[in-house]
Amino acid sequence: MDKGKPLQTRSDKFREPPAGLMSTPMKERRMTDFLVIAACFLLLTPILSAHRVTDFMIFCIFVMSFDLMYGYMGRLSFGHMLFLGTGAYCSGLFIKYVSGNPILAIFVGILGACALGMLIGLIIVRTTGACFSLINLAFNQIGFFLVLSPLRGITRGEDGFGVRVSSFSFLNFANPTFKYWFVLLCLLLVFYLLKRVTTSPYGILIRSIKEDETRVKFLGYNTFFYKWLTFVLAGCVGGLAGTLSALNYNFVNPNSMDVHSNVGVVFASLIGGAGNLYGALVGGVAYMLISNFLPIYIHRWEMFLGFSLLIIVFKFRKGIWGNIQGIWEYIQKRKGVGRPEEGEAVKR
Amino acid sequence: MIYTILYGFTIGAILYFISIGLSLTFGTIRVINFAHTLTYTIGVYMLLTFIGYYKGFFFISGSLAVLVVIPISYVIERFIIRRLYGESLDYTFIATFAVTLIGVDTIKWIWGVSPYPLSDPIGAYLAVWGMTFPLYRVFIVLIAILLFFALDLFFKKTIVGKIVVAALEDKDGVRCLGINVDKYFSIVFILGSALAALGGVLYAPISSIHPYMGLSVLLLSFAVVIVGGMGNLKGTFVSAFALGMVMAITARYWSQGAETMVFIVMAIVLIFKPIDI
Repeated sequence: MDKGKPLQTRSDKFREPPAGLMSTPMKERRMTDFLVIAACFLLLTPILSAHRVTDFMIFCIFVMSFDLMYGYMGRLSFGHMLFLGTGAYCSGLFIKYVSGNPILAIFVGILGACALGMLIGLIIVRTTGACFSLINLAFNQIGFFLVLSPLRGITRGEDGFGVRVSSFSFLNFANPTFKYWFVLLCLLLVFYLLKRVTTSPYGILIRSIKEDETRVKFLGYNTFFYKWLTFVLAGCVGGLAGTLSALNYNFVNPNSMDVHSNVGVVFASLIGGAGNLYGALVGGVAYMLISNFLPIYIHRWEMFLGFSLLIIVFKFRKGIWGNIQGIWEYIQKRKGVGRPEEGEAVKR
Repeated sequence: MIYTILYGFTIGAILYFISIGLSLTFGTIRVINFAHTLTYTIGVYMLLTFIGYYKGFFFISGSLAVLVVIPISYVIERFIIRRLYGESLDYTFIATFAVTLIGVDTIKWIWGVSPYPLSDPIGAYLAVWGMTFPLYRVFIVLIAILLFFALDLFFKKTIVGKIVVAALEDKDGVRCLGINVDKYFSIVFILGSALAALGGVLYAPISSIHPYMGLSVLLLSFAVVIVGGMGNLKGTFVSAFALGMVMAITARYWSQGAETMVFIVMAIVLIFKPIDI
C-alpha cells in the first residue's frame, strides 16, 4: 500500500555497510582462504567420514548459491530447492537416457538449471519481499508436481530412478575417494567464482540493490537485468549442487525438489551469517551437523530447530560468522589503540 | 457437474475461513504469518480430543476446540508476532516458520504422527431434483456465507471493526488519534486464528488428519490472499470461492493437478498484477 514503509525498515536494519564493502580483495589472502577452507574440510574427514563430508560440501555449495540471492541481493527465496532438483533431474535423466559421460551430465545439469532460471527469472525477479518468496514457492511446488505426476513416464514419479555413471578416463565416480576430491574441487571453484563475483563492481551493485533499489535505479542502472543475472547465477550454482548430489547418491527422487526442505537452506544461511560466503560455509556445515547428529541424541529435533531459529531471529542476527568477525574487529581495534603505528590494521 | 460445483463451494468456504485471518494479519501488521495454519491444525486435534470425551456431540466439541485455540493464539501473538512489528519481511517469515516447526512437533509429541479418520457428523443427505447432496457440505457453505455477512457487519458497525478497517488504510493516522492500534491488532490476530481453527474443525470430517495438514493448506491460503489482494476482505471472499472452484473442476478431470492449478493461477495473477511489498 504505502510504498515508503518497507524501504524504511530495510534501510534501518542495514545502516552499517556490509563488512565486505570495506575490505579490499587481496590476492595472497585469497590463496590462504582456499588453503584454510580445504584444510577445514580435510580435518573434518577423519572425525566424520568421507562420504558424509562429501555430503556436507555439496550442501555448502547449495547454501552459497542461496546466499548469493538472499545474503547479497536481499531476496529471500522459499523455493530454491527447485534448482537443486532441476540440476539433479536434468543430469540424472541425461545419464539414464542419453549417455553416461559424467562431464557432459554435469554440464547438462547446470544448463538445465540455467535455462529454467533464465525463463522463470523473467517473471520472478519483478517482485520483491514476500511476493518473491511466495512466487518462488509456487514455482517450486509446480516443479515438484511436474516430476511427480505428468512426467511420471520418464521420472518414475515418487520412486525415483538410479543413476549409473560410466567412468570417463580418470573420472571414476564409483570411487568414493575420487568423488570426495572432485566435490572439494567444485566447492573451491564455486567459492572462487562467487568471491570474484561478489567483490567485483557487479557484486557491490547487487548489494546496493539490497540496500535501496530505488536509489540504484536513480543512478541509471538497469536493476532488473542485474537482479535477473543474479537469479540465473544462483540457479546455475544450485543446479551444480543438484548434479553433484545426483552423482553422489547415484539416485534421483522427488525429495531433491521437496518444498519443505527449503527451510534447511534458509536456516543454514542464517545460522552462519547471511551475506557472507564464509558464513554460508560455516552455516552449511553447522546445519548438516545438527540435522545429521542431533536426531540421534535429541528425539524432538524439529522443536530444537524451531527454538534455535527463534533465537537467531531475535538475538543472534549476525550468525556464527558475523560474531566471529565482530570479535576479530574488536581485537584489531584493541591492538590499534595499544600501538598506534599499526594503524593500517584499523583502516582495513 | 452439480456435485463438482458443490465440492468447489465447500473447498472455497474452508479456504475463506482460513485465509481471512491471514489477509487481516498481513493487511494490518504486515507480517506474513507462516504460523497461521498451526492454529488450524491445533483446532482439529482439539476436536479429536473433545470428541473422545463427548461421544458424538460434534458441535459441542467443535466449539470447545475453537475456544481452546484462542489462548494459544494469544500466546503466539504476545511473544512472537508482537516483537516482529516493523521488522523486515524475511525475519518475520522465518520466526513464524519456527513457530510452526515447534507447534507441529508438539502435536506429534502429544498425538503421534499417524493420521486419524473422522466421519461425517451429520450423515444425512439432502434430496433436490432427484439428486442427493451431503447435508454437511451444504451446511459448510451456508456457514461461510453467514460468516461473510457477519464479518461485514463487524467491520462496518462495531467500533473495533471500524478501527481495524481504518488501520488497514493508514496505521499511523489511527495511531495519531490516540488509539492503541496494537491492542486491536492482537484482537484481529486472535479472531483470524479462531476462524482458521473453525475452518479446520469443519474441514476435518471430509479430509484426513495428520500433523502436517496445515502446511499444504497454508500454501493454498497464501494463493487465495495473493489473488484476492492482501488485506482486502471482499477480494479474499471472492478469490477463495473462485480458487475452490478451480480446484474442484481440475480435480474432476485431473485429480493430481488440483493444488498445482491454484499455484498456476496465482503465478498468472502475480505476473499481471505484481504486488509491491
